[in-house]
Amino acid sequence: MLVLSVLAGPAARAASQNLQVFVTSPYLELHTGPGRGYPVFNVVDRDASVDVLKRFTDWFKVRTASGVEGWVSAQDMEQTVLADGTHFHYDVGDLSAYTSHRFEAGIFFYGDYGGASAVSAYAAVFANPNLSAELSVGEFLGSASNGTTFDLGLAHIFYPQARLAPFVMLGTGVVHTEPKATLVQPDDRTEQSAYVGGGLRYYLTRRFFLRGEFKEHIIFTNRNQNEQVDEWKFGFAFFF
Amino acid sequence: MEIRLRILLLTGLLGLSGSLSGCATLRHLFGPADPAAPTAAPADAGASTDRGSGDDTTPPRVIEPQVERRDVKVPRIKSQDIELGGYIGTLNIEDFGAHRVFGIQAAYHITEDFFFQAEAGRSKAGRTSFETLSNISLLTDNERWFKYYDVSVGYNFLPGEVFLGRNHAMTSSFYILAGVGSTDFGGDSKFTGNFGAGYKILPTDWLAVHVAVEDRVFNTDLLGVNKLASNLEAHLGLTAFF
Repeated sequence: MLVLSVLAGPAARAASQNLQVFVTSPYLELHTGPGRGYPVFNVVDRDASVDVLKRFTDWFKVRTASGVEGWVSAQDMEQTVLADGTHFHYDVGDLSAYTSHRFEAGIFFYGDYGGASAVSAYAAVFANPNLSAELSVGEFLGSASNGTTFDLGLAHIFYPQARLAPFVMLGTGVVHTEPKATLVQPDDRTEQSAYVGGGLRYYLTRRFFLRGEFKEHIIFTNRNQNEQVDEWKFGFAFFF
Repeated sequence: MEIRLRILLLTGLLGLSGSLSGCATLRHLFGPADPAAPTAAPADAGASTDRGSGDDTTPPRVIEPQVERRDVKVPRIKSQDIELGGYIGTLNIEDFGAHRVFGIQAAYHITEDFFFQAEAGRSKAGRTSFETLSNISLLTDNERWFKYYDVSVGYNFLPGEVFLGRNHAMTSSFYILAGVGSTDFGGDSKFTGNFGAGYKILPTDWLAVHVAVEDRVFNTDLLGVNKLASNLEAHLGLTAFF
């Protein structure tokens, strides 16, 4: 009996932890996999309930009262209600969500840092639809030097509700440079930098958008003159 | 250049001040307080006139709300958009032979079609045929490590199911990848482009077995001439979804 109760314990707890939703459409289709092409193998009737087990992208794995497990699209899940009667809603991302989101991240697949090829990624957190704090990390690989960059700053988007929106940036950072030389090997150096820049964001679909930007970095060197580096970047980003 | 820089800095400052005006603390500096501030409730005024104007004490409430608001806690739905794992395979380092490669990979699935993937791996190069014949070492032992990382965008196409006997079906998919990264080899780091294709099978919802072929391409002058080196890699990976 004890063994039975121990075995049944986690299962019972797991069942109670899942979200239960009730079907309001004539039927709810269960697919064999999390994708539009996977065939429908089972349907759940109106007013019956299903337990929502997990989510993979825009698909929800559910378990029916008879124990059948299958995948339901986010679109079909909108036709269900919670136990308190409120509609189930999952945000798959649209232009209004794009206008006011909290976090975003992206990867720049094209980068030119003062003539060197660059790879970089960024993450941002929004204080309001216009203003965000951004952190970006990159590596540049050129014929004269290689190095890494870390930038932290603020960005302001002018028309966040527009599909194509311009923005400006201002911030500070650190750049670590490893010069390449054949005769004399100069030392690696780490210097502070500041940047100002601007760019464009273009909303594609769902949670995707494109982002292209230009940054002018001023690197505070210990030589007589500060260094200026122009950086161009273009990449994919998503918000959540 | 100085003037250009000043204009850029001023544009940045203007933009920031524009966005700060949206802050709650600064909003009232330039106008009246919230116009939607609560005013006297007209319903209450009507009720008091019904009971006569002689009584100036507040009338007792007819119904005392005794039902406490129930806090319904909606259970969180577990998401499995992140995939983490490792792989083992063979990497053909151009001019330096084919060798075992180990790596780790992470992916974030945005939709059922698209995902971002990052990989990092290492292999150790052998000797070129020139080195073997002349018995000269072009690289030190440390410089023979071929270390790379990349970030890619992937696209799942031809999703499907594979069947294991009568009772087991596993979801599967082909995918293509393209991205950029960096390769550290021969004492230098090179900007590297990568593209490839793979096939994955999911024995369970949270586990995937990958077979992938990727090419890592970069410009090198390691052997005296500047050329495009193509380094083909085939690997077998195991990942879990979180």
